[in-house]
Amino acid sequence: MIPFISVLSRLAACLLFSPFLLGVIGKTKAFFAGRKGPPLLQPYYDILKLIQKGSVYSVTTTWIFRAAPLIFFATTLIASFLIPFGGLKAPVQFWGDALLFTYLFGLGRFFIILAAMDTGSSFEGMGASREAIFSCLSEIVLFLNFAALAVLSKSFSLSQMIGESWWASWTVSGPSLILVGASYFMILLVENSRIPIDDPATHLELTMIHEVMVLDHSGPDLAFILHGAAIKLFVQGSFFVTLLIPFQSHNRIIDATVFLAAMIGLAVIIGIVESVMARLRLNRIPSFITGAFVLALFGLIIAIMRVL
Amino acid sequence: MRLFLLSLEILAFSAVLVLFLDRFRKLCHFVFVASLVAACSLNFFVSFPFLRGGETSIFRIPWSVPFGEFTIGLDPLSAFFLMTIGCVALASGIYGCGYLQEHHEKKNLGVHYFFYLLLITLLLVVVTARNAVLFLTAWELMTIIGYFLVTFYDEKKSVREAGYLYLIVTHCGTFCLLVMFALMGQAASSMDFDQMALAHYAPGLTGLLFILGLVGFGAKAGFFPIHIWLPHAHPAAPSHVSALFSGFVIKTGIYGLLRLIFIIKDLPAWSGPVVLAIGGVSGVFGVLYALGQHEIKKLLAYHSIENIGIIALGIGIGLLGNASGHESIALIGYAGGLLHVLNHAVFKSLLFLSAGSVIRSTGTGEIDAMGGLLKFLPFTGHLFLIGSLSICGLPLFNGFISEWLVYRALFDGVIHLDKFGIIMAVMAAVSLALIGGLAAICFAKAFSVIFLGQNRSHRQDIYKENPCMMWGPMMFLAAICVWIGLFPKTIVSFAFASAHFLIAAKPVAAQTEFLLQPILSTTKVLYIFLLVLGLLVLCRALLARRYPERRVGTWACGYPSLTTRIQYTASSFAEPVLRLFKWMVCFQVQRSEKSRINLPEELELSSKVVDMPEHFVFRPILAMLRRFSGMLLKLQSGHIPQYLFYMLLGLIALLLWKFPWRA
Amino acid sequence: MNTVWIDMALAVVVILAIGLLGTSRLGSIVRLFALQSFILAFLPFLLEGGIGIHKVVIATGTLIVKVIAIPAILFWAVRHVSIRRDTPAIFGGSASLLVGGFLIGLSFFLSSRLVLSGKPFSDLLIPSAFSTLFIGFLVIISRVKAITQVVGYLIMENGIFLFALLLFETTPLLVELGIFLDIFVGVFVMGIIINHIQNEFDHMDISQLTSLKE
Repeated sequence: MIPFISVLSRLAACLLFSPFLLGVIGKTKAFFAGRKGPPLLQPYYDILKLIQKGSVYSVTTTWIFRAAPLIFFATTLIASFLIPFGGLKAPVQFWGDALLFTYLFGLGRFFIILAAMDTGSSFEGMGASREAIFSCLSEIVLFLNFAALAVLSKSFSLSQMIGESWWASWTVSGPSLILVGASYFMILLVENSRIPIDDPATHLELTMIHEVMVLDHSGPDLAFILHGAAIKLFVQGSFFVTLLIPFQSHNRIIDATVFLAAMIGLAVIIGIVESVMARLRLNRIPSFITGAFVLALFGLIIAIMRVL
Repeated sequence: MRLFLLSLEILAFSAVLVLFLDRFRKLCHFVFVASLVAACSLNFFVSFPFLRGGETSIFRIPWSVPFGEFTIGLDPLSAFFLMTIGCVALASGIYGCGYLQEHHEKKNLGVHYFFYLLLITLLLVVVTARNAVLFLTAWELMTIIGYFLVTFYDEKKSVREAGYLYLIVTHCGTFCLLVMFALMGQAASSMDFDQMALAHYAPGLTGLLFILGLVGFGAKAGFFPIHIWLPHAHPAAPSHVSALFSGFVIKTGIYGLLRLIFIIKDLPAWSGPVVLAIGGVSGVFGVLYALGQHEIKKLLAYHSIENIGIIALGIGIGLLGNASGHESIALIGYAGGLLHVLNHAVFKSLLFLSAGSVIRSTGTGEIDAMGGLLKFLPFTGHLFLIGSLSICGLPLFNGFISEWLVYRALFDGVIHLDKFGIIMAVMAAVSLALIGGLAAICFAKAFSVIFLGQNRSHRQDIYKENPCMMWGPMMFLAAICVWIGLFPKTIVSFAFASAHFLIAAKPVAAQTEFLLQPILSTTKVLYIFLLVLGLLVLCRALLARRYPERRVGTWACGYPSLTTRIQYTASSFAEPVLRLFKWMVCFQVQRSEKSRINLPEELELSSKVVDMPEHFVFRPILAMLRRFSGMLLKLQSGHIPQYLFYMLLGLIALLLWKFPWRA
Repeated sequence: MNTVWIDMALAVVVILAIGLLGTSRLGSIVRLFALQSFILAFLPFLLEGGIGIHKVVIATGTLIVKVIAIPAILFWAVRHVSIRRDTPAIFGGSASLLVGGFLIGLSFFLSSRLVLSGKPFSDLLIPSAFSTLFIGFLVIISRVKAITQVVGYLIMENGIFLFALLLFETTPLLVELGIFLDIFVGVFVMGIIINHIQNEFDHMDISQLTSLKE
């Protein structure tokens, strides 16, 4: 049975805390650039402003354009049920929930791509086409990471794969976990459209991937997309944080605080990476993903060697 | 059993009846549809008890053909395929009735319906035959009748050539099957499947039989290097025939392979990895070639190759699990493969039928000449959307369930198998992930370029939606997709029952419960997802009421004169992927001659992919064979003294051989 | 506990080698090599046996020669010839990464086949030594500019250093000092030759050197 309070608090954490991560990233980048930067709560102001606006729809679009932000938002919310947050257990765990996790995001992405092509504009088509290929490649690397974790933990449920990383297993599988973590971090950057893959701040159509796909959305639709992207970063970041931080006291408050602090640390790291690297050329992005693939492969080989 | 025979008789009788009824159009249609409905419903009723329990039943008539007996049997494996054919044949047949309305004057529809009903009968016999001679006879007849169905538009040269290619490739496969059954019959000293299952085969012989079976059944199913007839035959045939072919006829190859696995109990250890490799290669190459196609039926044909690859992945991991003694891996692998047979039959037929509707409404199959059809063809468009979501394996629909099962078998393999098994399972899992991702790209491209945006050709026609006889069956298939996707328990337990039969194990209720549990949890999560989505839609509707909405043209970043040709076309959408995999699919971009002028007015740019086995393997072999036979032609000159000379040579050879030489 | 740190250090060494395959900027290549040598300098301290004079000398030698001196020479060379990039010629970016991954797999396979007299203190040692050696070799094959060739040779030296860790107790100090001198002189000479090539031909492409035979 799913405990009601844990589900509600999890939903609240996702909805309320995730835009804060975007604010932290913005502040870190501003710090590196020597500016003061937008306030930490800026993403909240943006979302609230957008909800209160009307929307403009193109005459070319169909119901898919209106439905896509809602489907995307719903998939990110449901995905947050499947993953443990640090020491806190996931409310829903079963064998193979990692597959549902990945494919839910795939469903949301499919509809956003359809909505982009729905507008009949070549800019959105460009972004849709690029997004499609890069996310397909990053899914391969993700499955390789799952394979390495499955070999190490002998199970295929997210809660067992990443939730049980005590110090003991670090001594056996340390290098493997570092490699999986590094590979997953690179995939995190690809999936959430951070530099060096995509610049979330620019609006030049020749360089964008995600920003250009949602060019035509406005008003509450854009609010859903922004908030959904923040929740996606939160949920996928929590995979990374839970993998690398093997901390579990059995007190919920301490676990939650440690987890949130670690997420803020992750946001700072992403901000630092964004500030010191430049965007890669579009035809170098497959090389980036291949690098993540080789790292994951290496981690898998070490895992097989250690466990057998 | 008696009901099954009744359905066979209904089909055969109405086939002959329809042949003579061509003049009475309405009666012809009525007999055709009625017989299909009757036969398919009977098939459904017949198959359910076999899938719930694990029984078998046999029916026999003696036959005067040497070694042959008319033996038909039903067991869970056959019952599963019977259920599949029921869905597909019914939907395609009723659709075909509506689709071919306009061809009445020019063509003899009675003959076409005769062939269709006969094909269904033969398909039913193939999946239930229990004697090798009966099986091969039905297989051969099925091939030939299929040829007649495919070449419906035989006034076009390309259709005739596609028919020839189909015949040639499947006959090469049938030759291998003939050799295989001959060897098996000799080892078991009987042509009966049940006797063969009890016999013991030498280890070398099992390897040879398996390879012959792979080539023979693979030519029909469409495994990668011998798939070359599929991309030509499917676009050539009328859409409901393509749906039947892609939905079921190629699955008879899979049925044959599974029956072979059932009969030869101890296959060599390398059989699992080989099938996994074939599955991975077929899947990846199939979907890459599909991405490069601009004609919708050829695109769907290559996707069939890809899905056969996925089924082969399921069978391969099942074989691997069987060989290493892990029964649960084998069970889940086979169940996943079997379920994907049913799922693919359903959603591929749905896609082909929708494609047929689109072609009928617009008059062309080129994707790049379409756009914005969702407004004109709402039923077709939304049903195509359901088909696309299913084939990409996205949650809420049936493709996700069968791919989930195959993934589960692969990851169970990763956890439990030895080192070599883990490497194979990981490679298979990675290729399945790649296949799924690329299929999503391909269908995002196909759906959005056909139905969304604006019309890319400059035609201003209003397209009419197709009659309800055509979208009615499509809705039936889409309903099955959604039902399996959200309430999979029944069908998945059927698949498990067949898989249990395949590995000759008795199903244990507790074990089946345990295996089904994660799927039920998945669907529970999906129900919550639908609930949350509903709440969000409500929220959005409330917000829309409070704040105003406007409709304007699409924002064009300030460019003044945009045409519909500026939209992304299918080739542009697929270009980044194809450029990345250029060496695998021979992707070429061709420019027109005029690009050399400095300020040209009109340019042409096109891209194409070249089917590698066809162009680099089979066409050169064909050219060599032609030259060789040209050389042989000199031996047959028509000159009588030359033939007398051959007779003299033969006499001398006979004398030398049989002469009683003095010792 | 120590094995964990050794394992992680070896894994980081191979990660840096992979990163070197993926980048085409000369500045990054030299910096990654310096970082790799830095980690290798401290690796002897993680072995058992306490802190002896042997280890301190090795560590200081590696630090001075491979982390400070040679990168300085290389950076001087880079600034002098003012080239910034060296894109892999034979394979291309993604392909050289994939070949590198294949070579890593090959080195794991080879090391599982080797029969050793004594058991090494970490089972990741031989594979990462082989990997670094192979990747150094791959860099020499696939790159075109002379400076990257030098770095490739130095990475092979790093790989050999890892092998030498196996025989740490028995290798006399003199041999290792000899190796250091060898490397230092070699790089020095290569720097001089690069300088002369640049002055004479105005570019650094070794593929152009074949035109000398005409």
